[in-house]
Amino acid sequence: MSALDELRQLRHGAVQVRKRDNKAAFWFLAPWFAGLVFITIGPVLASFGLGFTKYNLIQPPRFIGFANFARIFSDERLHNALRVTFTYVLVSVPLQLACALGVALLLDRGLRGLAFYRSAFYLPSLLGSSVAIAVLWTQVFGAEGLLNRVLGFFGVEGRGWISDPDTALSTLIVLNVWTFGSPMIIFLAGLRQIPAVYYEAAAIDGASRWSQFWRITLPLLSPILFFNLVLQIIHAFQSFTQAFVVSGGTGGPSDSTMFYTLYLYQQGFSRFDMGYASALAWFLLLIIAAFTAINFWAAKYWVFYDD
Amino acid sequence: MTTDRLPVGRLSSLAKHAGLILIGFVMLYPVLWMVVSSLRPGDEIFRSPGLILDSLKTENYTEGWYALSPSFGTYLLNSATLVLGCIIGNLVSCSMAAYAFARLHFSGKRWWFGIMLGTIMLPVHVIIVPQYVLFSQIGWVNTFLPLIVPKILATDAFFVFLMVQFIRGLPKELDEAARIDGCGHPRIFLRIVLPLMKPALATTTIFTFIWTWNDFFTQLIYLTDPDMYTVPVALRSFVDSTVATSWGSQFAMSVVSIIPIFLAFLIGQRYLVKGIATTGGK
Amino acid sequence: MSRTALAVAASLVASLLAACGSGSGAGGDLTAEPVTLRFTWWGADDRHKRTQQVIEMFQRRHPNITVKGEFKEWNGYWDSLATTMAANDAPDIMQMDELYIASYAERGALLDLNEAKKHLDTANFDQKALATGAVDGKQYGLPVGLGMYSIMVNTDLLAKYNIPLPDDTKWSWDDLKAIGEQVSKAGGGQVFGVQSPGINDTAGLSIRARQQGKSLFDAAGKVVLPPEIATQYWQYISDLAKTGVAAPPSVTVEKASAGLNQSATATGTAAFGFWWNTQLTALTAASGAKLKLLRLPGESQGKPGAYYKPSMFWSVSARSKHPAEAAAFVSFLANDEEAAKVLLTERGVPANQKIRAAIAAQLKETDKAAKEYLDTVPVSDPPRITPNGASTLDAILKRHTEDVLFGRATPDAAAASFIKEVQSEVDAAK
Repeated sequence: MSALDELRQLRHGAVQVRKRDNKAAFWFLAPWFAGLVFITIGPVLASFGLGFTKYNLIQPPRFIGFANFARIFSDERLHNALRVTFTYVLVSVPLQLACALGVALLLDRGLRGLAFYRSAFYLPSLLGSSVAIAVLWTQVFGAEGLLNRVLGFFGVEGRGWISDPDTALSTLIVLNVWTFGSPMIIFLAGLRQIPAVYYEAAAIDGASRWSQFWRITLPLLSPILFFNLVLQIIHAFQSFTQAFVVSGGTGGPSDSTMFYTLYLYQQGFSRFDMGYASALAWFLLLIIAAFTAINFWAAKYWVFYDD
Repeated sequence: MTTDRLPVGRLSSLAKHAGLILIGFVMLYPVLWMVVSSLRPGDEIFRSPGLILDSLKTENYTEGWYALSPSFGTYLLNSATLVLGCIIGNLVSCSMAAYAFARLHFSGKRWWFGIMLGTIMLPVHVIIVPQYVLFSQIGWVNTFLPLIVPKILATDAFFVFLMVQFIRGLPKELDEAARIDGCGHPRIFLRIVLPLMKPALATTTIFTFIWTWNDFFTQLIYLTDPDMYTVPVALRSFVDSTVATSWGSQFAMSVVSIIPIFLAFLIGQRYLVKGIATTGGK
Repeated sequence: MSRTALAVAASLVASLLAACGSGSGAGGDLTAEPVTLRFTWWGADDRHKRTQQVIEMFQRRHPNITVKGEFKEWNGYWDSLATTMAANDAPDIMQMDELYIASYAERGALLDLNEAKKHLDTANFDQKALATGAVDGKQYGLPVGLGMYSIMVNTDLLAKYNIPLPDDTKWSWDDLKAIGEQVSKAGGGQVFGVQSPGINDTAGLSIRARQQGKSLFDAAGKVVLPPEIATQYWQYISDLAKTGVAAPPSVTVEKASAGLNQSATATGTAAFGFWWNTQLTALTAASGAKLKLLRLPGESQGKPGAYYKPSMFWSVSARSKHPAEAAAFVSFLANDEEAAKVLLTERGVPANQKIRAAIAAQLKETDKAAKEYLDTVPVSDPPRITPNGASTLDAILKRHTEDVLFGRATPDAAAASFIKEVQSEVDAAK
C-alpha cells in the first residue's frame, strides 16, 4: 500500500470514530438542545434585538440604532458601577475561595463533629439572598452593631459601616465571603474524590503536610478549583440580590454599592428603558466572556486533568 | 478508609476545635440573632439587641403562619413541589449533557460548550421580559411550568459544567475497559460514570434544592396567584417599606423556611462524605 | 430568526393592535355572564387580610364576578406590573402610586375613569383630591386615601428635657433648628433634635418651593425648581448634620434604609421627624411613646405649602377586557361603607368625605388625630403629578442628599446636579 493510501485509511478511521460519537452525542444532548432552542435562544435573541431599540415595556419598541451602546461610553453612573463591580469581583472572589478551600481542608477528614461544623459553615449561604439579610447585616455592621461593640471593647471607635459610602462596598465583600458555603461544598466533594492511597503513600515516603498539599491535593483538585474560580467570577459579576437587599434597592449610599446588574435592573424596571438595559446586559456578557476566556486559556498552565 | 494523614496531638486537635467553634460562632451570629429575635415579641426586637432571651414567646410563629392567606403551610408545600421537579430535572438532563461534553467527541464540541457557558452569563433581568412574554403566549404563567421545564431541559449550565469537571477527573481506563467489553455509551454512562459521580450528583441535588428554595425573582414574576406563591415570595410579603413591617413574623417564618433546606443539607452531606473508596477497582 | 423570536415579535405587535381596540366597554352595562377580574395591590400582611375580606364582600354582592386578588410588597409589585404590562397581561384593577401614575398613563396603560362614570360615582370626593389623579383632564386614578406631610414630635422626650412644645401655627425653619439644638444638647449624643430630612423627602423639597410660591414641575412637566431653593434645602440638611441637631450622616442613612420600625422617631432617638400624618399609628406603636402631629415650619410665612397627597390610587387597565365590571369594583372599594369599615385608614384617611365621616367612630386615637389633622390644617392646590420619567425622583433626591451629607458635594453642586438630572430623565422619557 502506498503512503498515500495508508494516510487515507488512517484519516478514514479517525473520521469514523468521530461520526460514531456524533450520534451518541445527539441523544445525550437532546434535552439540553431542546432547552436551548425553545426556552433560551428566543429570549436571548430578543434581548439582543431590544438593545437597538427604545422600549418602555408598554408601547412597542422603537428602533434607535447604536444609541444605547454609544451611551455606555458616556454614562458616568455606569462607569461608577463598573468600578464598584470590578472591585467587588477582584477582591471578594479570591478571598471567598481561599476561605472555602481553607475550611474545606480543615473539615475534610479526621475531625470529630464534622457534620456539625460543615452545616454550621454552610448555614450562612442559606440566608445570603434572603430579605432578612439586610436587617441581619445591619445588626453586625450597623452603627450600633456587633462589630462596633467589639471594637468599642478595645477602645476603637467604629462607624456606620453599611451606610458610609467609603465602607459600604466592603460590607458587601464580607457578605460574599461569609457565604463561602457553596464553593466549600464543591471543594469538599472534590477532596473526597482524591483517593486516600495517595496520601498514605506520601506519608510513608515522609512527605510533609505542606508538601502533600502542593503535590497531591492542589493538582488533583485543580479541575474543581478551576470550576469554582470561573463560576464565582461569573456569579460575582452578576451579583444582584445582596446589593439590592442591603442597600434597599438603591445602590447607595451615594452609588457606592451600585453593582452593574443593579444599575441594569434600575434602567429596565424603574426607568422603563428596557432597550438600554438590554444593551448593558450584552456589554456585561462581553466582559464576563472575556474573563472566562482568559480563565480557560490560563487553565492550560495549571489545571491537571486525567484525560 | 479514613485515616489521619499524620498523627495529631491532643492539644492541636483541641486548638482546632476551639478555632473552628470561634469562627463558627462569628459566622453564625447573624443567624443566631434572627432565631432569638423570632422568639421575642415583635415590638421589642429592635429595642433590645443581644442574644440573651428572658422569655420564650412563640407568638411570632403562630402569627406568621396565619398572617397571609392561605397559611404558610401552602407556601412550604408549593416550594417543596417545585424543588422536587427541579431536582429531578437537573439530575437527569444535566448529567446526560455533561457526559456528552466530557466523554464524547463530536463536531463543534467547543462551540457548543462555549454557547452552554454563555447562557449563564446573561443577567436574568433582561431575559425575563421576553421569556415572560413567551410563556404568557403559551399560557404557562401562574403555573410551575416556566420554573421546572427549563430544568428538565438542562438550562442550568452551572450543573452541566460542574459535572463535566467531575467526569473529566475520573480516569478513562474504566470507560475503555467497558468499551472493550462491548458496552455502548448509554451503558458506560449508566453503569460506570453515573455511580462514580455521586458527589457531583449529591452536590447538584443540594444546590438545586437550596437555590430553588431561595430563588425570588423568577418565582415572583411567574406566580401571580397567591395560592401558588412559594416561600421566598411569601417571605417578602411580610416586608414592605411603605408600612410597618412585622419583623417578628418575618423572622419566625424565615427560621421555619430554613429548616427544610438545612435538613436537606444535613442529610445530603452524608452522600458527599461517602466518597469513592478506590478508583482503580475492576 | 427562530420561531420563538417571531412569536415574541408577533405578540408585541398583537398587543399594540389590542391596545387600539379597547376602552369602549367602560360605559356599557354590567354583564350577567361570569367574569373574572384580576386585582393587584402592594402592602404587608395586615393590608392583605383586610383587602381579601373586602373582595369576598364584593363577590357576595355580585355572584357572577370573581375577583382574584394578588398582592406583593412594594418593590416586587412594580417589577411584576412591568412584566405583566409588557406581556399585555396587566391586571384589571391595580393599586397605583403618585410617583408612577403619569408614567403609566402617558404610556397608554390606564383607563380614563371618566368613561366609566356610569359605574363609578365620584361625587363624594373632594375636587382637589380628585385632581391629584388627573393628567390632562383625564382621570387615570381614583385617590384612595389622603395624607399630609407633617412633623411628628415625641412629646415624652420634650417633657423629659423640659422643653416646651413649639407653636406650630407660627414657627419657621430656623425655629425648628433652634429647638432641635436644645434637644440635642439635652440628649447628649443619645437623642437628637431632628431626624434628618432629605431621604424619602420629595414632599419636603416640594413644600419648601411652594412656600416661596414656586414648585418642582410646571404644568407641562418641566423642572422649574429654582436652584436657590434647592441649595437652601440642602444647606439646611447639611447644617443640621454638622451642628449635631441631626444624627451623624451614617446613622441617618442607616436608619432611613431600615424602614419605619427602626427610624429615629420609632426608636426614640430623635424628637422631631418629617412624616406623613397617616403614619402616626404605626410610629406610635413602634416607639411606644406619645407622638403629636405638628404643622410644618414656614407655613405661616407665605402661602401654605401643604397639600393633600393621595396615598395611592385605584386604576383600571386600559386593556382590561371587562372595564365596566372593573369600574364597579373600584366603586365598591371607594364608596361602600361596609368595605370602608374593614379597610379603615390602613391605606390612609379616606379621600371620600362621606366615608371618612362614616368610619370616624371606629378609629383608634391615633387615626382620629391623623384625620383631625387632615380636616383642620390649611392646604393649597396640589402640585403637578410627578411627570413621566421622573419616577426615580425619590432615588435621585436620596443620592444627592447622601452626597451632601458625606461631603462629596456642596449644596450648590447638589442642587445644580439634581435639577439637571431630573430634567434629563423627564426628557428621556418622551
